[in-house]
Amino acid sequence: MWNLLPSISQLLFVVFGAMALGCAVALVAQRNPLYSAISLVGVFVSLACLYLTLQAPFIAAIQVIVYAGAIMVLVVFVIMLLNVEDEVRRPVRLHYLIPVGVLLAAVLIGEAAFMLQLGNSGPRGFEPAQTAGSDVGLTASIGTGMFTKYLLPFEVTSVLLLMALVGAITLARQGRTPLLAAPGNVTEEPAVLTAGGELVLKPGDTAATGRAFAREQISRGDAAAPSNVTREEEEGR
Amino acid sequence: MIPITWYLALSAVLFTIGVVGVIVKRNAIQMFMCIELMLNAVNLTFVAFSSYFGDVTGQLFVFIVMTVAAAEAAVGLGIIIAIFRNRESLDVDDASVLRL
Repeated sequence: MWNLLPSISQLLFVVFGAMALGCAVALVAQRNPLYSAISLVGVFVSLACLYLTLQAPFIAAIQVIVYAGAIMVLVVFVIMLLNVEDEVRRPVRLHYLIPVGVLLAAVLIGEAAFMLQLGNSGPRGFEPAQTAGSDVGLTASIGTGMFTKYLLPFEVTSVLLLMALVGAITLARQGRTPLLAAPGNVTEEPAVLTAGGELVLKPGDTAATGRAFAREQISRGDAAAPSNVTREEEEGR
Repeated sequence: MIPITWYLALSAVLFTIGVVGVIVKRNAIQMFMCIELMLNAVNLTFVAFSSYFGDVTGQLFVFIVMTVAAAEAAVGLGIIIAIFRNRESLDVDDASVLRL
Protein backbone atom coordinates (compact mmCIF):
# COMPACT_ATOMS: atom_id res chain seq x y z
CA MET A 1 0.00 0.00 0.00
CA TRP A 2 2.87 2.34 0.85
CA ASN A 3 4.49 1.73 -2.49
CA LEU A 4 1.35 2.81 -4.26
CA LEU A 5 1.11 6.07 -2.40
CA PRO A 6 4.64 7.43 -2.16
CA SER A 7 3.54 11.01 -2.12
CA ILE A 8 1.25 10.56 0.88
CA SER A 9 3.86 8.74 2.95
CA GLN A 10 6.41 11.41 2.11
CA LEU A 11 3.90 14.08 3.02
CA LEU A 12 3.35 12.39 6.38
CA PHE A 13 7.08 12.22 6.97
CA VAL A 14 7.53 15.89 6.16
CA VAL A 15 4.62 16.96 8.37
CA PHE A 16 5.61 14.94 11.43
CA GLY A 17 9.32 15.49 10.93
CA ALA A 18 8.78 19.23 10.81
CA MET A 19 6.61 18.97 13.90
CA ALA A 20 9.32 17.02 15.74
CA LEU A 21 11.98 19.52 14.70
CA GLY A 22 9.89 22.52 15.69
CA CYS A 23 9.04 21.06 19.07
CA ALA A 24 12.70 20.14 19.66
CA VAL A 25 13.83 23.68 18.88
CA ALA A 26 11.11 25.02 21.18
CA LEU A 27 12.31 22.63 23.88
CA VAL A 28 15.75 24.18 23.82
CA ALA A 29 14.58 27.75 23.29
CA GLN A 30 12.07 27.90 26.14
CA ARG A 31 13.10 29.37 29.47
CA ASN A 32 10.22 27.98 31.49
CA PRO A 33 10.76 24.25 32.19
CA LEU A 34 7.04 23.55 31.97
CA TYR A 35 6.83 24.86 28.40
CA SER A 36 9.90 22.76 27.60
CA ALA A 37 8.09 19.70 28.95
CA ILE A 38 5.07 20.39 26.75
CA SER A 39 7.36 20.79 23.73
CA LEU A 40 8.97 17.48 24.58
CA VAL A 41 5.54 15.83 24.60
CA GLY A 42 5.06 17.22 21.09
CA VAL A 43 8.35 15.63 20.02
CA PHE A 44 7.29 12.29 21.50
CA VAL A 45 3.90 12.29 19.79
CA SER A 46 5.30 13.26 16.39
CA LEU A 47 7.99 10.59 16.73
CA ALA A 48 5.25 8.07 17.49
CA CYS A 49 3.54 9.08 14.24
CA LEU A 50 6.87 8.63 12.42
CA TYR A 51 7.11 5.13 13.90
CA LEU A 52 3.68 4.44 12.43
CA THR A 53 4.92 5.50 9.01
CA LEU A 54 7.77 3.03 9.53
CA GLN A 55 5.19 0.27 10.17
CA ALA A 56 6.16 -0.18 13.80
CA PRO A 57 2.82 0.11 15.62
CA PHE A 58 4.00 -1.51 18.85
CA ILE A 59 6.89 0.90 19.27
CA ALA A 60 4.56 3.79 18.45
CA ALA A 61 2.13 2.67 21.13
CA ILE A 62 4.72 2.28 23.88
CA GLN A 63 6.31 5.55 22.79
CA VAL A 64 3.06 7.30 23.65
CA ILE A 65 2.34 5.22 26.75
CA VAL A 66 5.79 5.13 28.34
CA TYR A 67 7.36 8.39 27.17
CA ALA A 68 4.49 10.80 26.71
CA GLY A 69 2.53 9.14 29.48
CA ALA A 70 4.73 7.93 32.30
CA ILE A 71 8.05 9.75 31.99
CA MET A 72 6.58 13.13 31.14
CA VAL A 73 4.06 12.91 33.95
CA LEU A 74 7.00 12.29 36.28
CA VAL A 75 8.90 15.28 34.89
CA VAL A 76 5.90 17.60 35.07
CA PHE A 77 5.21 16.38 38.60
CA VAL A 78 8.75 17.29 39.66
CA ILE A 79 8.50 20.68 37.96
CA MET A 80 5.27 21.40 39.81
CA LEU A 81 6.67 20.04 43.08
CA LEU A 82 9.79 22.17 43.02
CA ASN A 83 8.01 25.31 41.79
CA VAL A 84 10.82 26.12 39.40
CA GLU A 85 11.21 29.69 38.24
CA ASP A 86 12.30 30.74 34.79
CA GLU A 87 15.91 30.35 33.86
CA VAL A 88 17.91 33.48 34.52
CA ARG A 89 20.20 34.74 31.82
CA ARG A 90 23.80 34.93 32.91
CA PRO A 91 26.86 36.20 31.10
CA VAL A 92 28.75 33.58 29.18
CA ARG A 93 31.95 32.74 31.01
CA LEU A 94 33.86 30.83 28.35
CA HIS A 95 33.84 33.09 25.29
CA TYR A 96 36.57 31.26 23.48
CA LEU A 97 34.51 28.08 23.37
CA ILE A 98 31.88 29.54 21.02
CA PRO A 99 33.96 29.50 17.79
CA VAL A 100 35.33 26.09 18.78
CA GLY A 101 31.79 24.77 19.20
CA VAL A 102 30.66 26.21 15.87
CA LEU A 103 33.68 24.65 14.14
CA LEU A 104 33.05 21.24 15.69
CA ALA A 105 29.35 21.39 14.77
CA ALA A 106 30.24 22.22 11.15
CA VAL A 107 32.65 19.28 11.03
CA LEU A 108 30.02 16.96 12.47
CA ILE A 109 27.33 18.08 10.02
CA GLY A 110 29.73 17.76 7.08
CA GLU A 111 30.70 14.29 8.20
CA ALA A 112 27.08 13.19 8.59
CA ALA A 113 26.14 14.61 5.19
CA PHE A 114 29.09 12.85 3.59
CA MET A 115 28.14 9.53 5.16
CA LEU A 116 24.51 9.86 4.11
CA GLN A 117 25.55 10.76 0.58
CA LEU A 118 27.89 7.77 0.51
CA GLY A 119 25.08 5.52 1.66
CA ASN A 120 22.82 6.80 -1.07
CA SER A 121 25.21 6.48 -3.97
CA GLY A 122 27.48 3.64 -3.03
CA PRO A 123 27.17 0.04 -4.17
CA ARG A 124 25.77 -0.97 -0.75
CA GLY A 125 22.97 1.57 -0.79
CA PHE A 126 20.07 1.41 1.58
CA GLU A 127 17.42 -0.79 0.09
CA PRO A 128 14.22 -1.51 1.94
CA ALA A 129 14.20 -5.23 2.50
CA GLN A 130 10.76 -5.33 3.99
CA THR A 131 7.87 -6.70 2.02
CA ALA A 132 4.33 -5.52 2.42
CA GLY A 133 3.08 -8.55 4.34
CA SER A 134 5.87 -8.59 6.92
CA ASP A 135 5.00 -8.93 10.59
CA VAL A 136 8.09 -7.07 11.80
CA GLY A 137 6.95 -4.43 14.24
CA LEU A 138 3.85 -6.23 15.38
CA THR A 139 3.56 -7.13 19.04
CA ALA A 140 3.75 -10.87 18.41
CA SER A 141 7.08 -10.76 16.59
CA ILE A 142 8.59 -8.42 19.19
CA GLY A 143 7.42 -10.65 22.05
CA THR A 144 8.77 -13.74 20.31
CA GLY A 145 12.16 -12.15 19.83
CA MET A 146 12.24 -10.80 23.36
CA PHE A 147 11.53 -14.11 25.05
CA THR A 148 13.63 -16.37 22.86
CA LYS A 149 16.71 -14.82 21.31
CA TYR A 150 17.02 -11.79 23.57
CA LEU A 151 15.96 -13.27 26.88
CA LEU A 152 19.20 -12.33 28.66
CA PRO A 153 19.01 -8.59 27.83
CA PHE A 154 15.40 -8.65 28.95
CA GLU A 155 16.33 -10.10 32.35
CA VAL A 156 19.25 -7.71 32.73
CA THR A 157 16.80 -4.90 32.05
CA SER A 158 14.63 -6.04 34.93
CA VAL A 159 17.67 -6.01 37.24
CA LEU A 160 18.40 -2.48 36.02
CA LEU A 161 14.87 -1.41 36.86
CA LEU A 162 15.23 -2.84 40.36
CA MET A 163 18.46 -0.93 40.88
CA ALA A 164 16.82 2.27 39.65
CA LEU A 165 13.94 1.70 42.05
CA VAL A 166 16.25 1.32 45.04
CA GLY A 167 18.38 4.27 43.95
CA ALA A 168 15.41 6.58 43.45
CA ILE A 169 13.97 5.76 46.87
CA THR A 170 17.35 6.26 48.55
CA LEU A 171 17.88 9.59 46.84
CA ALA A 172 14.47 11.10 47.26
CA ARG A 173 13.57 10.31 50.84
CA GLN A 174 13.99 12.82 53.64
CA GLY A 175 17.20 12.86 55.66
CA ARG A 176 15.50 11.92 58.94
CA THR A 177 17.19 8.56 59.20
CA PRO A 178 20.16 7.52 61.35
CA LEU A 179 22.10 6.99 58.15
CA LEU A 180 21.73 10.53 56.91
CA ALA A 181 21.33 12.54 60.14
CA ALA A 182 24.99 13.27 60.67
CA PRO A 183 25.89 15.84 63.36
CA GLY A 184 26.25 18.43 60.60
CA ASN A 185 22.53 18.23 59.93
CA VAL A 186 21.61 18.74 63.58
CA THR A 187 22.75 22.32 63.91
CA GLU A 188 20.30 23.71 61.40
CA GLU A 189 18.29 25.43 64.17
CA PRO A 190 20.90 26.55 66.73
CA ALA A 191 18.51 28.76 68.72
CA VAL A 192 16.39 25.79 69.65
CA LEU A 193 19.21 23.37 70.16
CA THR A 194 21.10 25.53 72.64
CA ALA A 195 17.94 26.06 74.65
CA GLY A 196 18.70 23.95 77.68
CA GLY A 197 22.41 24.32 77.95
CA GLU A 198 22.96 20.76 79.08
CA LEU A 199 21.63 19.12 75.93
CA VAL A 200 24.32 16.80 74.57
CA LEU A 201 24.06 16.02 70.91
CA LYS A 202 24.69 12.49 69.83
CA PRO A 203 25.08 11.19 66.30
CA GLY A 204 21.60 10.41 65.15
CA ASP A 205 19.99 13.38 66.84
CA THR A 206 17.87 15.55 64.61
CA ALA A 207 16.33 18.96 64.88
CA ALA A 208 13.20 17.27 66.16
CA THR A 209 15.19 16.01 69.15
CA GLY A 210 16.30 19.52 70.00
CA ARG A 211 12.79 20.85 69.63
CA ALA A 212 11.40 18.19 71.94
CA PHE A 213 14.11 18.97 74.48
CA ALA A 214 13.33 22.69 74.40
CA ARG A 215 9.62 22.01 74.76
CA GLU A 216 10.30 19.85 77.79
CA GLN A 217 12.40 22.61 79.36
CA ILE A 218 9.66 25.16 78.84
CA SER A 219 6.92 22.94 80.23
CA ARG A 220 9.02 22.46 83.39
CA GLY A 221 9.18 26.23 83.78
CA ASP A 222 12.91 26.32 83.38
CA ALA A 223 13.99 29.95 83.58
CA ALA A 224 17.17 29.18 81.69
CA ALA A 225 15.25 28.71 78.49
CA PRO A 226 16.00 31.61 76.16
CA SER A 227 13.22 34.00 75.42
CA ASN A 228 13.19 33.44 71.68
CA VAL A 229 12.22 29.80 72.17
CA THR A 230 9.27 30.74 74.37
CA ARG A 231 8.22 33.29 71.81
CA GLU A 232 8.26 30.62 69.13
CA GLU A 233 6.21 28.36 71.31
CA GLU A 234 3.65 31.07 72.00
CA GLU A 235 3.34 31.86 68.33
CA GLY A 236 2.74 28.23 67.71
CA ARG A 237 -0.31 28.15 69.96
CA MET B 1 8.75 4.63 -0.16
CA ILE B 2 10.63 7.15 1.87
CA PRO B 3 14.41 6.83 1.62
CA ILE B 4 15.98 5.80 4.91
CA THR B 5 18.32 8.75 4.54
CA TRP B 6 15.48 11.06 5.47
CA TYR B 7 14.94 9.31 8.76
CA LEU B 8 18.67 9.24 9.50
CA ALA B 9 19.02 12.94 8.74
CA LEU B 10 16.05 13.80 10.95
CA SER B 11 17.49 11.65 13.72
CA ALA B 12 20.89 13.33 13.42
CA VAL B 13 19.36 16.79 13.60
CA LEU B 14 17.22 15.84 16.62
CA PHE B 15 20.28 14.39 18.37
CA THR B 16 22.27 17.54 17.64
CA ILE B 17 19.50 19.71 19.07
CA GLY B 18 19.59 17.55 22.18
CA VAL B 19 23.36 17.94 22.51
CA VAL B 20 23.09 21.70 22.08
CA GLY B 21 20.38 21.78 24.73
CA VAL B 22 22.46 19.85 27.24
CA ILE B 23 25.38 22.19 26.67
CA VAL B 24 23.42 25.44 26.60
CA LYS B 25 20.74 24.96 29.24
CA ARG B 26 21.47 25.60 32.91
CA ASN B 27 18.28 24.27 34.40
CA ALA B 28 18.82 20.66 35.50
CA ILE B 29 15.33 19.56 34.45
CA GLN B 30 15.72 21.03 30.99
CA MET B 31 19.09 19.32 30.58
CA PHE B 32 17.36 16.11 31.60
CA MET B 33 14.68 16.60 28.94
CA CYS B 34 17.35 17.24 26.30
CA ILE B 35 18.92 13.90 27.22
CA GLU B 36 15.53 12.29 26.65
CA LEU B 37 15.43 13.97 23.24
CA MET B 38 18.81 12.44 22.36
CA LEU B 39 17.59 8.99 23.40
CA ASN B 40 14.55 9.44 21.16
CA ALA B 41 16.71 10.41 18.21
CA VAL B 42 18.66 7.17 18.62
CA ASN B 43 15.38 5.27 18.88
CA LEU B 44 14.28 6.73 15.55
CA THR B 45 17.44 5.40 13.94
CA PHE B 46 16.86 1.97 15.44
CA VAL B 47 13.28 1.77 14.22
CA ALA B 48 14.19 3.06 10.76
CA PHE B 49 16.88 0.42 10.26
CA SER B 50 14.69 -2.28 11.76
CA SER B 51 11.85 -1.47 9.42
CA TYR B 52 14.01 -1.16 6.34
CA PHE B 53 15.96 -4.35 6.87
CA GLY B 54 12.97 -6.33 8.03
CA ASP B 55 14.68 -7.34 11.26
CA VAL B 56 12.93 -7.06 14.60
CA THR B 57 16.16 -6.65 16.60
CA GLY B 58 16.20 -2.88 16.29
CA GLN B 59 12.75 -2.55 17.77
CA LEU B 60 13.75 -4.79 20.67
CA PHE B 61 16.64 -2.47 21.36
CA VAL B 62 14.23 0.45 21.27
CA PHE B 63 12.24 -1.32 23.96
CA ILE B 64 15.37 -1.68 26.10
CA VAL B 65 16.37 1.94 25.49
CA MET B 66 12.95 3.01 26.71
CA THR B 67 13.45 0.96 29.87
CA VAL B 68 16.81 2.61 30.44
CA ALA B 69 15.17 5.99 29.88
CA ALA B 70 12.53 5.20 32.49
CA ALA B 71 15.19 4.15 35.00
CA GLU B 72 17.15 7.28 34.17
CA ALA B 73 14.03 9.38 34.74
CA ALA B 74 13.48 7.89 38.19
CA VAL B 75 17.09 8.24 39.37
CA GLY B 76 17.72 11.55 37.63
CA LEU B 77 14.64 13.21 39.04
CA GLY B 78 15.58 11.86 42.49
CA ILE B 79 18.97 13.52 42.12
CA ILE B 80 17.34 16.74 40.95
CA ILE B 81 15.04 16.76 43.99
CA ALA B 82 18.02 16.15 46.29
CA ILE B 83 19.97 19.01 44.68
CA PHE B 84 16.99 21.33 45.01
CA ARG B 85 16.53 20.36 48.65
CA ASN B 86 20.16 21.19 49.45
CA ARG B 87 20.64 24.33 47.39
CA GLU B 88 17.15 25.77 46.79
CA SER B 89 18.04 26.06 43.12
CA LEU B 90 18.05 23.94 39.98
CA ASP B 91 20.79 25.94 38.28
CA VAL B 92 23.65 23.57 37.59
CA ASP B 93 26.13 26.42 38.03
CA ASP B 94 25.05 26.57 41.67
CA ALA B 95 25.89 22.89 42.04
CA SER B 96 29.34 22.96 40.50
CA VAL B 97 31.06 21.71 43.65
CA LEU B 98 30.26 18.56 45.57
CA ARG B 99 30.33 20.16 49.01
CA LEU B 100 27.69 22.56 50.27
